[in-house]
Amino acid sequence: MKAATFNWLILMALTALSFGVAEAGVPGGAALVPVLLATLFKGRIVIDHFMALQGVGGAWRWVVLGWLLLVLGLIGYAFQYAQT
Amino acid sequence: MKYQSQLVAKPYFIAAIGLFLGQILFGLIMGLQYVVGDFLFPEIPFNVARMVHTNLLIVWLLFGFMGAAYYLIPEEAERELHSPKLAMAMFWIFLAAGVATILGYLLVPYATLAEWTGNDLLATMGREFLEQPLPTKVGIVVVALAMLYNLSMTVLRGRKTAINLVMLVGLWGLAIFFLFSFYNPNNLVKDKYFWWWVVHLWVEGVWELIMGAMLAFVLIKVTGVDREVIEKWLYVIIAMALITGLIGTGHHYYWIGAPEYWQWWGSVFSALEPIPFFMMTVFAFSMVNRRRREHPNKAAVLWALGTGVMAFLGAGVWGFLHTLAPVNYFTHGSQITAAHGHLAFYGAYVMVVITMISYTMPLMRGRAANSPLAQTVEMWSFWLMTVSMMFITLFLTAAGILQIWLQRISDQPMSFMAAQDQVALFYWMREYAGLVFLSGLLLYISSFFIKGKAATAD
Amino acid sequence: MWCFILAELLVFGVFFLAYAFARTHDVELFNASQLELDRTSGFINTMLLISGSYFVVLAVDRIRHGHSRACTRWLIAAMACGAAFLVLKLVEFSGKIEAGISMSTNTFYMFYLGLGFFHFMHVVLGMVILGAVTLKAWRGGYRASDYAGVETGAAYWHMVDLVWIVLFPLIYLLN
Ligand code: HEM
Ligand code: HEM
Ligand SMILES: [Fe+2]
Repeated sequence: MKAATFNWLILMALTALSFGVAEAGVPGGAALVPVLLATLFKGRIVIDHFMALQGVGGAWRWVVLGWLLLVLGLIGYAFQYAQT
Repeated sequence: MKYQSQLVAKPYFIAAIGLFLGQILFGLIMGLQYVVGDFLFPEIPFNVARMVHTNLLIVWLLFGFMGAAYYLIPEEAERELHSPKLAMAMFWIFLAAGVATILGYLLVPYATLAEWTGNDLLATMGREFLEQPLPTKVGIVVVALAMLYNLSMTVLRGRKTAINLVMLVGLWGLAIFFLFSFYNPNNLVKDKYFWWWVVHLWVEGVWELIMGAMLAFVLIKVTGVDREVIEKWLYVIIAMALITGLIGTGHHYYWIGAPEYWQWWGSVFSALEPIPFFMMTVFAFSMVNRRRREHPNKAAVLWALGTGVMAFLGAGVWGFLHTLAPVNYFTHGSQITAAHGHLAFYGAYVMVVITMISYTMPLMRGRAANSPLAQTVEMWSFWLMTVSMMFITLFLTAAGILQIWLQRISDQPMSFMAAQDQVALFYWMREYAGLVFLSGLLLYISSFFIKGKAATAD
Repeated sequence: MWCFILAELLVFGVFFLAYAFARTHDVELFNASQLELDRTSGFINTMLLISGSYFVVLAVDRIRHGHSRACTRWLIAAMACGAAFLVLKLVEFSGKIEAGISMSTNTFYMFYLGLGFFHFMHVVLGMVILGAVTLKAWRGGYRASDYAGVETGAAYWHMVDLVWIVLFPLIYLLN
């Protein structure tokens, strides 16, 4: 269960990081990619380790991970598009 | 058939088929009035025919659901119906009320009917699908409550299965949402708002539970697949139906004066409504593919599969077609709506009721299945009705696209009536397809009178 | 349960994208309204849900080893996180409502309140599910060889967390 504790700490750190970036007033364009990447990483931890889908055979893991990638990717696209 | 009291379903089904025939006749009358404006005027004006057509539809489907419930609940609960006498009494009350109401529509001007039946005490009339006079509405509630009492008592004392619980919840929901037909606020926005609580929450909510339960029941019987498998499917389907269908009501709130956010909520949730219908299709096919036995009643299997496919087409595909707010902005209240309404009602509820009738009628008449000839005729009627309904839908869709173009999009938009003239060709074709539908229905009815040795599993 | 979870993810996913693309039509309005949010409250809430998820992981681990008591304790801890989330969220919402803001104020607030409330209801449902699991665990209804119920409840709870992990940066942070 050390691994779970470690994952928990990473999740909190990444959340604090994203929050800090916003609090520090980093402009939207520059913050976009780091925050999205942090979110992707957090999502992957929850899916693979908390939901314990890593190592589970079959399509479930890929469907859920695919959901995460697709949603974050399109969000990134939409925000990038809005910048221009 | 295991229990004597299941026989009460029989008169319900017979009445349903009779009223179905009436519905189609009035549909054909209206279809002709679309192109020959003064046909049967002033004896049967279009608005009266429309009311008769749609009310007969609802009433006969209710007969079908009730019959199905009276058959299915005792069998699932493994005991006789609490009170067969009550069920029969309700049958006659409902039939009498239904016939009297239709005669009222046909023989008396609607305003006079309203006056006679106490509409000024509690104004509930004059709204599409809910045109019934007050006494009829009260009658519906009484009949529904008596039925629910009867069925709930049966289930309470008997075996509880996923199927009879889902069926029962569906029927309770049906009765409860009908109560909103008594609420008729003066504010037109609110009126429409709650009107949909009956109409939409019926067909895209609680009726789906009823439909799922009926389909699951027949599939267990004709395929022999394990109950656990079928029940799992049933639960997932109804969960999806409720998640998407409840908030999906928003797809009727786009332009009626309700808050704007419904354009988002309605679009997103109703866009997912096809999922449960799609699952029903997969459900029906995979159960039949995994069947453990060959049931002699081939016709019932065909109807069950047909229900899956056509419900998905009518509700899922044709519903999705116009459910997103930016699309509905153009299609709202056009012939597209009518096309969808026809295919969805037919594919989902007409077909599931016939599936149930097709499976149970031979049993109630003392045989596992009808004779091969009778089944062949029934299957012919299946194809005639289903294909012609598909064509009715396609013609109405074509008419709808043209109508929208001419009336709402082109540079010089036409008036409503001028646009209708332009699409008359499609209305003629719809009428011809309707005649084929009628012949299919007549063939279906005739299949009940074909004698011969009962088919056996081969 | 997994079918159910996928369906939920689908609904939320569609909404997230609707937000992202609706925003492209009116970036100023979204950015301006976003600044009126209580970002700190959102941050604390994220921490709460993440911790709740972590506690649930511990609960599953305990029951895997057959420790009903410890499992129950971690489940209660997770529910406490959920409850704190709900309280904070209510404070946030009531602040907005007092300020006269509703779903009809503008498109941003439609999403903020609508999605927030929708997610809120999911936390409530997740709590109900966890509550049922907790009760059964407390009565010793699970054992090392049979704890599928705990896993199912956990999966739902993680889903609620996962959705919030996307929702928080999307609505509170990114501009
Ligand atoms: C078996 C299920 C269904 C039945 C029986 C049914 C029937 C109907 C009927 C009769 C109407 C016309 C109501 C009126 O204005 O008088 C209607 C409207 C509508 N239906 Fe359905 N429907 C079903 C499922 C669905 C589904 C699943 C969707 C969405 C995916 C959908 C989308 C719509 C929409 C958007 C309208 C409004 C059309 C307009 O604006 O004019 N329906 N439906
Ligand atoms: C199973 C068969 C049928 C079902 C379930 C059915 C159902 C319905 C429904 C729900 C409506 C109201 C539509 C709306 O408000 O948009 C309607 C209207 C109508 N139906 Fe049918 N119908 C059936 C068969 C037929 C047939 C065979 C015809 C004629 C060929 C027909 C002709 C019409 C006409 C002309 C209307 C009026 C449409 C309008 O108001 O513009 N129907 N039907
Ligand atoms: Fe609807």
